Amino acid sequence: MSVRFHWSLSQVGDKFRRANATTDMKGLFSLETQIEFCRAAEESGIDSLLMAVGFTRPDPTVLSAALGMETKKIKFMVACRPGVISPTVFVQQINTISAVTNGRIHINIVTGHSPHELRYYGDWLDHDQRYQRTDEFLSVCRAFWRRDGEVNFEGQYYQIQNGRLNTPFVPGERNSPEIFLGGNSELAERLAIKHANCLWRFADSPENLRSRIPEITSQGIEVGLLVSVLARPTREAAVRDANTMVRSLAAKQQFGKEFAQRTDSTAYRSTLELAEKSDSQWLTPWLWTGAIPYLGSPAIALVGGPKEIASAILEYKEIGISQFLFMGWPDLDEMIFFGREVLPLVRDGEAELAGAAKVARRFSYGSC
Amino acid sequence: MAVAETLHGHSVEVGSKPLRFHWRLPYAGESTGMAMADQATAAAIGLPDPKAQIEFCRHAEECGIDSLLVDFGFAKPDPMLLAAILGQGAKKIKFILAYRSGLFSPAMFVQQLNTLSALIDGRLLLNIVAGYSPEEQRGYGDFLSHDARYERTEEFLAACHAFWNGGAEVNFAGKHYRIEKGKLKTPFVSPDRSSPEIIVGGGSAQAQQLARREGTCWMQLADEPEKIRAGISTVLASSVEAGLRLCMISRPTHQGAVQAARALIGGEHHARKSDGQTAFIEKTDSVSFKAAYQRGDNEWLTRTLWTGAVRVQGPTAISLVGSPAEIADAIMEYKDIGISQFILSGWPKLAEMMFFGREVLPRIRQREAERAAKGDARSRTSVMN
Repeated sequence: MSVRFHWSLSQVGDKFRRANATTDMKGLFSLETQIEFCRAAEESGIDSLLMAVGFTRPDPTVLSAALGMETKKIKFMVACRPGVISPTVFVQQINTISAVTNGRIHINIVTGHSPHELRYYGDWLDHDQRYQRTDEFLSVCRAFWRRDGEVNFEGQYYQIQNGRLNTPFVPGERNSPEIFLGGNSELAERLAIKHANCLWRFADSPENLRSRIPEITSQGIEVGLLVSVLARPTREAAVRDANTMVRSLAAKQQFGKEFAQRTDSTAYRSTLELAEKSDSQWLTPWLWTGAIPYLGSPAIALVGGPKEIASAILEYKEIGISQFLFMGWPDLDEMIFFGREVLPLVRDGEAELAGAAKVARRFSYGSC
Repeated sequence: MAVAETLHGHSVEVGSKPLRFHWRLPYAGESTGMAMADQATAAAIGLPDPKAQIEFCRHAEECGIDSLLVDFGFAKPDPMLLAAILGQGAKKIKFILAYRSGLFSPAMFVQQLNTLSALIDGRLLLNIVAGYSPEEQRGYGDFLSHDARYERTEEFLAACHAFWNGGAEVNFAGKHYRIEKGKLKTPFVSPDRSSPEIIVGGGSAQAQQLARREGTCWMQLADEPEKIRAGISTVLASSVEAGLRLCMISRPTHQGAVQAARALIGGEHHARKSDGQTAFIEKTDSVSFKAAYQRGDNEWLTRTLWTGAVRVQGPTAISLVGSPAEIADAIMEYKDIGISQFILSGWPKLAEMMFFGREVLPRIRQREAERAAKGDARSRTSVMN
């Protein structure tokens, strides 16, 4: 199977995510700019665009419906927080989009990483309770997606009696969207195995990731990597740009530490620690933590020339990573460069590996 | 004419502004009449049909319709997203999104609505209903009783308004919602408003109170003008508008309209029979739906106000039946007592709206112009004296 690539749609033109104070963000967006981004993604071999959720952004579901009307191929990975919407309405909304986009919708379940922000939305549960509620939420959603009669559910957070929905998930060959779920905690892992198609992990070196992955993939779900990309024609140019970026960010606020004190997300905290504990900013010759103190955990980045990035991706593929969710600085340029310069090398590498595997299989048939 | 400034910053001038007419958006497979009870079993209704529905939107624009009602229910696509979809194709019409509380957190709801407003330049109104079917609500995880739902709905709208009114941070401590330092970056985008108009539907005392406190218009099912007049006086005194939800069966002649109405329900005597709707009415806890059903005992409430379809099509099927001139007169009678908005529907869906736009609406506008001219003449006279 080829590795699948997703990209994060920067909805409000937040070029350097988290580099600016949230008070400076407007929450307004240009639909035209985003349609252009969607079309560029279609041309760059991107499977879907992450539509993130948060108080600084427009609503990802509504925006996806509008963008879906203006595009033909790209899918939308809509982020969703269970505590803010009835699961019945959520399924009704996702199914409504699926019907006009011919199923071009995935969902990315986020259990939430900032208790402060969750209270804006009237959500007061703690970390573990939120996971329990997410479990219930997805159980209800999946029951609606099965379409095998009325939905009845008796949980601690949701009670549903004789639930029905007329709008199905379209197209019929899948009766539900692909479900992605992020998190590094054990709770997240268990929840993903129970309900999701793919678990997102923040990047770490293949060395450090290797041990956990087979356990997860052996339970029938995929593991994907959430990582930023900084690719330039040569490794030298990439490293130079990375350093320049950090110098200009250093003049601004230190985002990471302040955020780490407020978050209750295991994944965010452990990536920040990774950056702090390490002696060097380079976990491998291409995995860079230098931007994390300024831009937060998602800023852990693959840095290098097309060859280095492609071989890093293939290295991850070998340990069982099958999907990537990328971010870039800025997103559009990085995505176009990735599609033009890096992706073809990845596909070549995959073909070679497949060829080698075929030879190896033939060889082993021959020998027995 | 008195102009009053309401809580939410809009002014009401009873009787002087042109009437506003909204129409109900038909769903896929709904070209002719379909009883509320039957909608539940029609699979086609659940699927958005952007091509046909955008076409309907454009016709509505040509007919002088202000907004299209996109209603909410388990049998239909989600209204917020349907409006986002149709609003990309139809560039002038507004959408009235029907929702109830108990489905979203207020911040989430405001965020979705504000996002939609930015996409379609504020072409949206809200129609908040407390809900009429406990059975359906339980399918959404909502188990509150009629009165508790009103209490929650009032909190819901108060919290939404706190976000729209643009304070730095929203703090709200209610029985149903608790918000701390709430912030949202995406504002409500509109050429002339910082929050959507809110039509509150429902016939009960709680609905009326909710409309006065959190709404811009109180919408109820039609009844004869005399009965409506008494009910809306407190609402109008609070500078909130009053509106009516009704159906329209208009044909070139009175007789033709009556025939069309009777044909719709399959014959003259059918009207008094309780059939498909009985089970629906027994299960609802809506005060106005039950009352409308009772009105069905009397087939003609006025020469043009007909209840014959109520027991076949559902409580919203109280209809004005008549020639264009008769309908225009009936509408003006409502305007005289202070009604300023109507949400209409009819059968067949498109043809009725086109007939309204072509034959009825111009007559209403003409009558409005005549009254305005008379009013001007009167006020000039009084200045001269």
